Order: sequence, then structure tokens, then C-alpha cells
Amino acid sequence: MSTLEIGVKETLVAPWPEWARRATRGRRLLEAGTYALTEGAIAAGCRVFAGYPITPATDIAEYMSKRLPQVGGYYVQCEDELAGMHACAGASLGGLKAMTATSGPGFTLMHDAYGWAITNEIPLVVVDAMRVGPISGITGAPGQGEFYIARYASHGGNFETIVLSPSSVQEAFWLTIDAFNLAERFRTPVTILTDQVISDMWEDLFVPEDYDALDFVVPRRHNLMMPFYPVGSADLDVPPNVIGHGTGVCVSAYTHTEEGYDIEEMEAQWAQTYRLINKIRHHRDQLTRYETVGVEDAEVIAVAYGANARTVKTGVLEARRRGVRAGFVRLITLWPFPDELFARDLPYVVCELNYDGQLVREVMRSAPDGRTVRFMGKSAELHTVAEVAAGLEGVARNGRVPELPYIWTEVR
Amino acid sequence: MPLFKAEKKPPKGPAGRWDVVVGEEMCKACGFCLHICPVDVFAWRKAPNRIGWFPMYTAHEENCIGCMLCYQICPDFCIDVSVKGAA
Amino acid sequence: MNKLAKKYLRPSQIPTKACHGCGIGMIENWLLQAIDEMGLKQDDVIFGTGIGCVGRQTFATWGGDNFGATHGRALAVATGLKLAQPDKKYLIVVGDGDAASIGTSHLIHAARRNLGVTVICEDNMGYESTGGQFSPTTPAGYVTNSSPYGMVEPGFDPCDVVKAAGATFVAETTATQWHQTVKIVKKALANDGFSFVHVRFPCNENFGAYALGTRDTLKNLEWIYEHTQGRKADGTETDFTWETGIKHDASNSRPEFSKVLRDMNARVRADLAARAGT
Repeated sequence: MSTLEIGVKETLVAPWPEWARRATRGRRLLEAGTYALTEGAIAAGCRVFAGYPITPATDIAEYMSKRLPQVGGYYVQCEDELAGMHACAGASLGGLKAMTATSGPGFTLMHDAYGWAITNEIPLVVVDAMRVGPISGITGAPGQGEFYIARYASHGGNFETIVLSPSSVQEAFWLTIDAFNLAERFRTPVTILTDQVISDMWEDLFVPEDYDALDFVVPRRHNLMMPFYPVGSADLDVPPNVIGHGTGVCVSAYTHTEEGYDIEEMEAQWAQTYRLINKIRHHRDQLTRYETVGVEDAEVIAVAYGANARTVKTGVLEARRRGVRAGFVRLITLWPFPDELFARDLPYVVCELNYDGQLVREVMRSAPDGRTVRFMGKSAELHTVAEVAAGLEGVARNGRVPELPYIWTEVR
Repeated sequence: MPLFKAEKKPPKGPAGRWDVVVGEEMCKACGFCLHICPVDVFAWRKAPNRIGWFPMYTAHEENCIGCMLCYQICPDFCIDVSVKGAA
Repeated sequence: MNKLAKKYLRPSQIPTKACHGCGIGMIENWLLQAIDEMGLKQDDVIFGTGIGCVGRQTFATWGGDNFGATHGRALAVATGLKLAQPDKKYLIVVGDGDAASIGTSHLIHAARRNLGVTVICEDNMGYESTGGQFSPTTPAGYVTNSSPYGMVEPGFDPCDVVKAAGATFVAETTATQWHQTVKIVKKALANDGFSFVHVRFPCNENFGAYALGTRDTLKNLEWIYEHTQGRKADGTETDFTWETGIKHDASNSRPEFSKVLRDMNARVRADLAARAGT
């Protein structure tokens, strides 16, 4: 059942359809999501991977250990995730693009390094292949429990983060390049929230032939003069700082001045916060990536991201076939949260892979009337097409999600 | 033998050939130089410096025998000892 | 500022934030002497620190490139940095909390990999910037703010730990051994591999005040001196003695970590090129 058969409009707002048109020469493969994430990173110029094996992100580490030496990069298997992300931050400070990959338990450990990388504006990419939790949970089952943790990836507040989420193997490839580009331009760690299904799933994948010829990859630049930290400014495209070029840069965990000196003054704290928050907030138009299906005439809109967006999308089409004017919004940029996608006063049905309700709370906040937002939570397993279609039908006809086994609808 | 000897001795060998400079503005008055000095070179100022300590100053440069102990022990990079006229 | 401080440090960051009579500045002065005697320039050395007294007081004093990592992670950051900038000398100046407690795993694994950095563990025998709690290197029985009845946990010697982990240069000195420290740091910097130098120094405001009962800078440094010599001023033996000197010197006996990776890369790429040619 395709969107063509149903006859609804499908829109993808992201930079990669244009990239795909430009990079035509390449190979078609049947490969896993982890492979696509790895190749995307290599294509984007990643030369250091430091991490710790964890299911379901281990394959990224394994692919990296094979691929990086071939392109003159370095694979470091660290003693823990703390060391992994710090080593990536160190490598990035030294002038190499770096990435690490983990799952929930390791992601929690990385928060130490997240704060450091965010404050010091170190470009990095972190892949978090989510699995169902809390803690170790079921290692081989998908989850979407890190929606908020990825946003609030450090303590102390006063920062914004960029979080992207792919929903197919091909998209994982392009999105990884995009994540590296955003990390370079915004000088910040970018998180890719994938999940066990997208990581382990095999799908057809187009990989361009010559990575060096990809002109849409933002190259690494070096900031060779003061100010090292443009505090008080929201400018994009400030080159990242580099250690080892004799610039006298200072990188620390403290609130810093333009030079990077530690300082305990409120004005400095305010200037730093202005920079960390507004370099992202003021450029949200350059960050929003999403996909919509049939939202123009919709009476009810399903919202999802990541792996379960695949079944939810089919569920929306099934609901259309049953005569419900259903629409679909798939978020690719999770943070900063695209409030503008929920500006219309419609019932939104939020489908996500947890019972506690995370994405739904943000949709409730941004929708004109939070009371019209419905929750369809499912844990450890993707929503079925039948469940989604039944849910949308119920909301459109009776104003509520019908009672379904394994689906939670309570948020409060 | 303690590190800090209570008594100062008159300089035995050649003395008076050294410039002893104390950066009084950054001295935190720990007293190490005064007490490690085997002869009698340093003394306290009676007025505090900018950061609120009563700093050390070179009171009797002519006694200096160039042993460099004060230079080694100063925790605040304040003291420089060099041969007179070398700078 | 003395000549070496003018040559290597940042005038804007001197005087440091250290308390009066704190040994951190003394040791940094000796590090500068070692660097100067080796003929290294500002740009040749990358200066890394952690958190706590040693991190805060030495951060940004170095005139070249600096980093102050989160607590304990200076070596993790250095692991990545060394890959990107393999030709620099790394001086990782950390405290006993960074090296021997929160960051021990990174210390052990950096030693295992023979990462080409020189770690100066400046040990004031407790967590002094938080007000004087005991650390794994606080001498047994001593009173601190979190061991009011005496430190009951056994401590450990970080030198033994890194030696067992495979460090190629291990030494220990104290804050009353300036010439030895300079010589040892020179040897440590000359080792293309993992070097560890443990330097104990006095804290007046906390360790001195609570464990030794005095904030007198002279008495506290004298206490360090006595325990270095093993003998008090009156000739009686001290309760314990630190064994100082070079404890293990296998300098340049093992290949350095980033070199191992670079060599492997060269091998892999040569194989690839050969296969592409056939």
C-alpha cells in the first residue's frame, strides 16, 4: 500500500533528497542500519571512533574498527563510555572529526562528557541505539526512552541540543552526514537517536562511490585566533577550536570567558548561556527536518519517529483506505522540538515506544489545545498497522483511542 | 635536621654577587623563602600588596650566596635570583 | 614573575588561585625548569588538568594550549588528543582524586596502552577543594573532615597500580625534593610512552588544619620533609616514610599507543593498495 495508491501528498523536508540527486554514482547494497551509520560517518570525514561495545550499537564499533584504519582513521576501544566520549572530544579538539555509538546504559555514562563538549562547543556525533528499559531492560528490543535524556544530556541546564532520528537504513546514511555537518556548523555534539530496529534492520542502501567528491560535506576548519568562544553571540559557522596549533586556547569544564579562562562572574555566565542556547534557537529554521503524509486535508494526525514511524505511516494509509482523513507527521529533528508542525488545532495521536509518554508531552505543549492530543504508547514492540488504523479511526469517529491490548493511552 | 633552620648564619663564601628580585605584587606571604634562606636576605613588608598579603622583600641582597633555595621553594613564581649584571 | 614563568606561563593568570603556601605552584615551577632544560617551547607542550585544587589552580596558567577536563577524565581526553596531535608532549597535571580515585580506570588503561603522556599526580592527600575529605592516598589513621575518627580505609599507592598496569616510567617525589623532581620530570618527558610521577605536597588550609592540627605553612612543609626523610627534626623516626625516587624505568621499551595505531593503519593501507594493484 503506497501513498501513490491512496493518493495523498508526501513531503520530506530534509537536505538529503537534494544530495541524493547530486551523488548518482555509487553502489546499491543490502546492508544493516549500523553499516549505514558507519559509512555515513566515514563519508562525512569521521576519522576517530572511541567507544565501548554495547548491544545494539556494537556493530557500529565493529564496522568502524575495520573501516577506520583503511581511511587513515583511529578506532579506540575504551575502558568505558565515559572515556569513549571524552576521547572523541579530545580527538575533535585535536582537529579530527569523531563519533561514538552506544545504547541507553552507556548513554547515561556519557552525560559527563556531554556537558564538557557542549560547554566547550566541541563538534561530535553520538549515536544512541535505544533499547527498551529502564537500565539494561531487554537488549534486543527497541525502545524510545531517551527522548528527553537526549535533550537534557547534561546537568546544570542552560544549553540546547540537536537530536536527529532516522527511520530507514538509507536515511541513517544521509542523516549521519547531516549530523556531522550540523555538529561542525553549530559547534556542538549532535545526537542520533536510532533504535534497535533501525540499527539491526537490513535494507537496500545506496552508497556514493567517491566520498571525497561529496561537496555537501562541511569540512573541518580550525579556529586559529581569539575569540575562541564567541560568548554573547549566536553566530553560526564559527570554526571549532583546535588544540596543538599553538593558539593558546583554553578548554575547561568551567564557565569561561572569550579566551577560555575560568571565571566566576554572573555576566560571564549569562554571556555563555546566551551563546549556548541561542546559537541553536536563533537558527531553528536550518535545523527542522520532518516528513509529512496527507496533512493538508487531515482530520486526525498521527505523530511518530524512528522505527515505529514505519508501521505508523502504513497505519495512516490503512486508515485512509477505511475512509478516515488521517495525516502523518514523522519527526526527524527531535530537538529543538519543531513546535510549528503542531500549530493546527487538530487531534494528534502520538505513537511511541514507551508507556510513560515522552514525545506526547511535547506535542501536548505545542498543540493549540493539549486536550486533543492522544497517546498510543507501546513497549518493546512496534505498533501494528491494525492498532494504528484502529486508533486513528477511533479518534476521528468517537474522539478517543479505543481500548487495545498492549497499548497505553494514559499520560497523566 | 629540619628543613627550615631557626638561625641564620653569616654568609661564608662569596656573597653580594646576586640580584634577588621578589615579585611583591604576587607574593602570598607563605614565608618559605624567609625561612629556607641560610643567610639573611628577606624580610616582611609592613604594608599589604594588592592581593592582601604582607609580602616579602629583598632586605639584604648583599648577603645572598646564590644557593637558589628561595627560587626553588617559592610557590608563586615570585623570586628570581641572577648574577648581578647578567640581565 | 621569575624568568621561566615569564617565558612559559600566562601573566594574566598569575598569581594563581592557590592558597598561600600551597605546593602546587612550587611543583609547577619545577615542571617549568624541566621543560626549559629539555629545550621545549610553549607550543611543544599541551597542558591538561582535571578538577579540584590541582586542576583549578594550574588550569590556564600554561601559556600554550590548555585543557581542563571533567573530574578524572583528563587522560581520556588526552587519549583522543594524542591520536590527532601525536607529536606534542603532554603534561597531564592531576590531583590524587583525579588520578587515584574517580579517574583510576583511565589511568590504568592509559598505562596499559602506553599512551605517550606524562602524568604528574600532585597529591595533597585528600579532597581539599571541597573542604578536606580523605582520599585513597590519605595516610591511614589521619583525621580529615570526612574521617573525624581517623581514616579507617586502607589507602593505596598509585605508583604500584600504574606499574602493574604497564607504565614505562614510574617515580615518586615530594614537595621538598626540587632537584630530584626536575631530574625525574625530565626523564619522564623523555620517555615516549606513559610516564607517571607522583608528587606529594602540603595543603595548609585543610589537610594541614585537620590532619596535622596547624595552618602554619612552615610546619606543614616541614611535615612533608620529615616523612620524606623518615626522621623528625629531633632525630626520632616518623610514623611512616614515603619511598621516593624512580620506582620503575623502562623508558622507550614499548611502542607508544598512537604509534601502534599509525603503524597498523600504514600496514592496512599498504595491503589495500597492493590488493587494488593486483
